[in-house]
Amino acid sequence: MTLPIIPFEGRRPYPPRVTELTATFWNGLAQGEWRTTRCRSCANLTFPPKKICPFCWSDSMEWAALATRGTLYSWTQIHVAPAAFRSQAPYHVGIVDLEDGVRLACSLLTTPDLPPRCDAQVEIVALQAEDGPLFVARMSG
Amino acid sequence: MDNVAIIGWSAAPVRALQTKADADLHILEHELLAPIVIDAISKACVTRDMIGSAIFTVPRPYTMQKYLHTFMIGQLRLACSGTVMEVMGNGMTGALAFDQACAEIQLGRAQVALAVGVNMETATSASEHMMESMRATGDVDFQSIAGIPPIAWYAMDAMRYMHDFGATPEQLAAVAVKNRRHASLNPLAQFREPITIADVLAARRIVEPLGLLDVPGRSDAAICLVLASESVARATGRPYAILRGRGFSHDGSHQISDRRTDITALPAAQRAGAAAFSQAGIGQQDIDVAEIYAPCTIVEILVSEALGFFPRGKGGEAALAGDTELGGRKPLSTSGGLTSRGHPAYVTSLYNMGELFDQLTGAAGERQVANARFGLSSGELGNYNAALVHVLEGIQ
Repeated sequence: MTLPIIPFEGRRPYPPRVTELTATFWNGLAQGEWRTTRCRSCANLTFPPKKICPFCWSDSMEWAALATRGTLYSWTQIHVAPAAFRSQAPYHVGIVDLEDGVRLACSLLTTPDLPPRCDAQVEIVALQAEDGPLFVARMSG
Repeated sequence: MDNVAIIGWSAAPVRALQTKADADLHILEHELLAPIVIDAISKACVTRDMIGSAIFTVPRPYTMQKYLHTFMIGQLRLACSGTVMEVMGNGMTGALAFDQACAEIQLGRAQVALAVGVNMETATSASEHMMESMRATGDVDFQSIAGIPPIAWYAMDAMRYMHDFGATPEQLAAVAVKNRRHASLNPLAQFREPITIADVLAARRIVEPLGLLDVPGRSDAAICLVLASESVARATGRPYAILRGRGFSHDGSHQISDRRTDITALPAAQRAGAAAFSQAGIGQQDIDVAEIYAPCTIVEILVSEALGFFPRGKGGEAALAGDTELGGRKPLSTSGGLTSRGHPAYVTSLYNMGELFDQLTGAAGERQVANARFGLSSGELGNYNAALVHVLEGIQ
């Protein structure tokens, strides 16, 4: 499943460190690919991508597509922000439940027409900043 | 195994004390802490040669003097033959220092042990401090990238709790108002000017739906608790507070699970509480006073439910009804709690223990809960991903 890619002005406020493992995730995200690791032994998806399955401790992992849609479990608007994010404040973040059962936390894109509320529909989109991609959730209904 | 008792304590008033790195005159950790250790030992009616172990809370990263625990031992020439160490566990740090000091006595390594620490952080701005703290309460590479500071997770608890149970901002605000009223009676408290529900609701927003008065301020503090075997405690001829039950639980996730769990149920607090009650041989109904580790108003409500003080979804109503006030049926945070007594995070739980000692020995003055016998303290890390609960009984 390919994510919409939205330009993001400037550099990411607090970029992730990339490892040999997570390079696959971040390089893919830059192309709109949305995936994580799945255990070949117990079939559980885990997010973020991991070398070892937290459920059964198998080290046999493969890449698998993540659901791109889900619901907003909870959210907040941050007015007092960590230093690297002060220029973005106030901004929204949320906890998202993807349709495949995976939960994650990320930034939230809202519009006046689509304010955040618990259990609302969201979709994951990729932001393309000067120095690399980010994943965020966008209110969709 | 002999029982463990708290036999005395001393602490600095919780304040903003830390000086900037370029100040002409500094307030330094060891100068603040040394007289407090001596005062605590004096109040406990023991002598320095009786102290076998000293368990320190780790200082904040802004403390320049590293290995502060052994540095302090040198400042006081306090030779020990049990254990001298620093413990660290985010917000649970103080509770773990207490827990480890208890273990030193239970293991027979010491007859008297100190649980001691200093937390200095206020010279570092909140926005810089959050650059540190957001890395403790999230995955640096997959969550901190969104700029989620610790209190934002509690804010998301509040948002979901209000959604699930119809709780209101007034119910959350009632916790802040109650804690401020308690703090007005506590000379150690940092914020003592009374406030109203209207004040809490009108305060500037920090992390929706929490405003300035729903969240903790920044605090510096220093404290020393003296623990001893019950035989030593009894020999002092003074009232003491005995450890009756202890429970720990980690829910197996860091901050949030990557599966659909109920984030406001706090299962670790449920399990740690149940284990502590079971060991103490009492139930939640027997607790006369509790000092809850609750950095934000919402957290006190959630923990009051997880420990069984109120049914699920009813903690907010109980707070608004006055059930958790002094004089109510389950007084919580009689010290003023983290929002008003102050929240010097790494030693916060030691202040909570000090308050319990005062309540259970009849020394809480205007804050005294009448005939308080059993007290409970909770510590946490993350979003109560782990909880450490202690139940104490006063022996007068």
